[in-house]
Amino acid sequence: MSTLTAEPSTAPDPGAPGPNGAPGAASLAGAWRRFLLRRAGGLAVNLVLLLLVTFLIVQLIPGDPAVAIAGESATLAQVELVRTQLGLDQPLLVQLGTYFAGVVQGDFGDSYRYRVPALDVVAAAVPFTLSITLIAVLLLLALGVALGMGVGVATRGDRHRWLDLSFNLVTGLVSSVPTYVMATALVAVFAITLRWLPPAYSPAYGFGQAAILPIAALTISGTCSVARIVRRETAVILEQDYMRTARGWRLPALSLYAKHMLPNLLTTALTLSGIILTALLGSALVTEAVFAWPGLGGVIVQAIAIDKDYPVIRAAVFVIGLISLVITLVIDVILGLIDPRTLGEKRG
Amino acid sequence: MADSIPSVIPSVTSSVGTPSVGSAPTGRPRAFAWNAGLVVGLAMLGVVAIVAVLAPIALGTQASGIGGTPNLGPAPGHPLGTDSLGRDMLARTLVATRSTVLMALAATALSAVAGITFGVAVWLAPHRLRELGLRAIELAVSYPTMLVAIIVAAILGQGIVQVVVAIAIANIAGFARLTANLAARIASNEYVTTARLMGVPAHLVATRHVLPNMAEPTLILVAGAFSGALVEISGLSFIGLGAQTPAFDWGTLLNDGLSKIVMNPVVVVGPAVALTFTSLAALLVGDGLAAAANPRSNTTRSRLVRGMGTPSPGTGEEDAVLVADGIRVEHGGSGRELVKDVSFTIRRGEVLGIVGESGSGKSLTASVVAQLVGEGLTASARRLELGGTDLLGRVPATTLAQRVGLIYQDPGTALNPALSLGSQLSDVLRVRLRHSRRAATDLLLQKFRSVLLPDPEGRLRQYPHQLSGGMKQRAMIASAMSTGPDLIIADEPTTALDVTVQREVLTVLKRMNRESGTAVLFISHDLGVVRALCDRVLVMKDGEIVEQLDDVAALSGATVAHPYTKQLLAATPAVTVTGANDTTEARV
Repeated sequence: MSTLTAEPSTAPDPGAPGPNGAPGAASLAGAWRRFLLRRAGGLAVNLVLLLLVTFLIVQLIPGDPAVAIAGESATLAQVELVRTQLGLDQPLLVQLGTYFAGVVQGDFGDSYRYRVPALDVVAAAVPFTLSITLIAVLLLLALGVALGMGVGVATRGDRHRWLDLSFNLVTGLVSSVPTYVMATALVAVFAITLRWLPPAYSPAYGFGQAAILPIAALTISGTCSVARIVRRETAVILEQDYMRTARGWRLPALSLYAKHMLPNLLTTALTLSGIILTALLGSALVTEAVFAWPGLGGVIVQAIAIDKDYPVIRAAVFVIGLISLVITLVIDVILGLIDPRTLGEKRG
Repeated sequence: MADSIPSVIPSVTSSVGTPSVGSAPTGRPRAFAWNAGLVVGLAMLGVVAIVAVLAPIALGTQASGIGGTPNLGPAPGHPLGTDSLGRDMLARTLVATRSTVLMALAATALSAVAGITFGVAVWLAPHRLRELGLRAIELAVSYPTMLVAIIVAAILGQGIVQVVVAIAIANIAGFARLTANLAARIASNEYVTTARLMGVPAHLVATRHVLPNMAEPTLILVAGAFSGALVEISGLSFIGLGAQTPAFDWGTLLNDGLSKIVMNPVVVVGPAVALTFTSLAALLVGDGLAAAANPRSNTTRSRLVRGMGTPSPGTGEEDAVLVADGIRVEHGGSGRELVKDVSFTIRRGEVLGIVGESGSGKSLTASVVAQLVGEGLTASARRLELGGTDLLGRVPATTLAQRVGLIYQDPGTALNPALSLGSQLSDVLRVRLRHSRRAATDLLLQKFRSVLLPDPEGRLRQYPHQLSGGMKQRAMIASAMSTGPDLIIADEPTTALDVTVQREVLTVLKRMNRESGTAVLFISHDLGVVRALCDRVLVMKDGEIVEQLDDVAALSGATVAHPYTKQLLAATPAVTVTGANDTTEARV
């Protein structure tokens, strides 16, 4: 038998971050700096692209944009008026320069319909859309994670097959209901049949009362989608070696799931929440129509389908794009705070 | 919300695990496994397809003929009522199936073809261009699909073709990203590298090697994209940007119905149910395909029971830390015996090695002792005692937590990536042994120092990914020692480490054993490592102990009896273990 008595060799382990931990902290600060620099650069590029896209909305209209915008029944004079108003008679680069200069000062031009700055029309609608979307996302993440994790833990290793089956059935069915269909169903039941809640927005009702159904419509099916994903993820995490390590420490269920599993699940949930938020923003645009909700959806549909109000379209598209970008950035910052490893990932 | 969240998102946490304590033997063949969801989903899609073909032929006149009684509620002949022009809503819903499904199919096909082409092109492009392309894809993906669709609708105007193009464009980025990601993953495989090295042209590499391997995930995405396109197109029609009168789809029907909902709620039922039904069908197919590609094991919960028969006498010794008699492990589903009647005793301060090839049952034996039998396995023993405590009865978690320390094979995966070392390693002390935060940290620090972990205070705040493999394993040893256990179970603790680090970890382990008198159950496939560390060695093969080696020092081909041990011995390279005082070279 060999003797393995005294000190181990003092050769440093390869790949170790340093002798005394300080480099670890420094590298974290460095990771944050690189992350913020990269994201600031990415944000700038995305803003320029957004400006280009909104500029091109008018340029890409097939045929003569001025004719298309003024409408088929417009007189020649009206068409020319539109042309000069939008600067469509200028060379393309001049138009682009004027557009950029205007946007930088928050000027997208005046709305054709309302005769006020287009940005004001959009700004008035933003709080309505953003409030229901943000509340819905927070709700559906909390509910979806709780439901998915609970069912995932309860059905681990094929326990409670009935729960597994009914969870799959219910969440599969509910998550297949489009939000605007869900909204319509909610109106039919809670506003028309039961008369508990107002069917549509009106200044007469309080915001809170009128917002319940739109928020519910956005939350319910999303909760099921998130719960399904979280449940799958829970099953994967439960099989990870580190969960076995935690079981080896004989930790009680609360500590096992709340402390050792949840943070790993949160990374998934937060990564998801970026996708969900931008997608929900899109859903909200459509769902608002059910409730005559005075948000961006109504503004943008009115501007496209009825008024051909291009300054408003440009402003609305720009603002929604900006909101998506900011949301993505905020979520990545939160992710970085929870799990510094995500800082190095190339996203956005 | 099927309109927004992709129903099939690949698991974020990879499930690459290494077989060790408590893992069931796997290696099931990867075959396409039909499942109920897939069958039901396909059947539902079949129904939709039949309706889409037949309804316009059979019910076309009923759906668009004006002149019936307007705004009927549910009535005989009109179960879903009539619209404001007296047209039957059931007929209209069924007839609209064709236009709605065709629009969604066209949009999905367009975006799939364009997205996959773009994705492959990006992957084949030179490095610079590829980076640019990937960035563009990431940017496009981060925009809400509906917003992109609305922009396109704003440019092209309203109508069926415009909506199809809009949704197709909006979904291209998703396909492009999946393709680029998959291509990158497949391209790094050896067979692709080989093909490239052999001078196969890039486009042939793409069509022969890369594309066929992308079929499965792409199919899953197609199912999700179809469901998304269906809901998005109907959504655009619903807000008036899609199909224009006299054309109609489920979205326009729903919109019409909504305006009458106060008066006649039944008219929204048709399009709402149709949309949900079709979207559910696509979701079931997508999930079913994903499940078929990656079948979940059907396991039942594990059990540890008292085995039949009377314990063999003579195994209980005065200074025994662990007495195990007649351990059996059986796979619950198949009834296959994985460990057959294994008995051994570990004395105080002793290092007992179990050596054997993978699948020999050595880790399973350890998992029974650790009371961490894997899911789906049934374990039994005639007798299992840890320092006088009967492990087959109800053992308080605190007792187990305190008296058994565990060290695992791969320190890279055995530590929780989301928690700092201090936070996770002190949990057992705080939660199970009721130490205060301060006392737990102090104890852990003391153990960190005794395993010679540099900068112990700094380590507490660090996350596992900030440490090297050897340091992580030392931290694991420190944690295992922190409860003052009677027995440490080390399951291949050095297998995942490189040779120099391996030696350090073994040395630390041996020193712990010497200084504290803690017994060690050491599992390894490497006889060289085992003979350098252990006092006694059990050789396992096919779930049985084939040989017990009491005199490790005198180990040679002449002293062992079983042919398998001779084979193992012949295959073992010389392992050198360095101490400060002397160097022992184990020779074969």
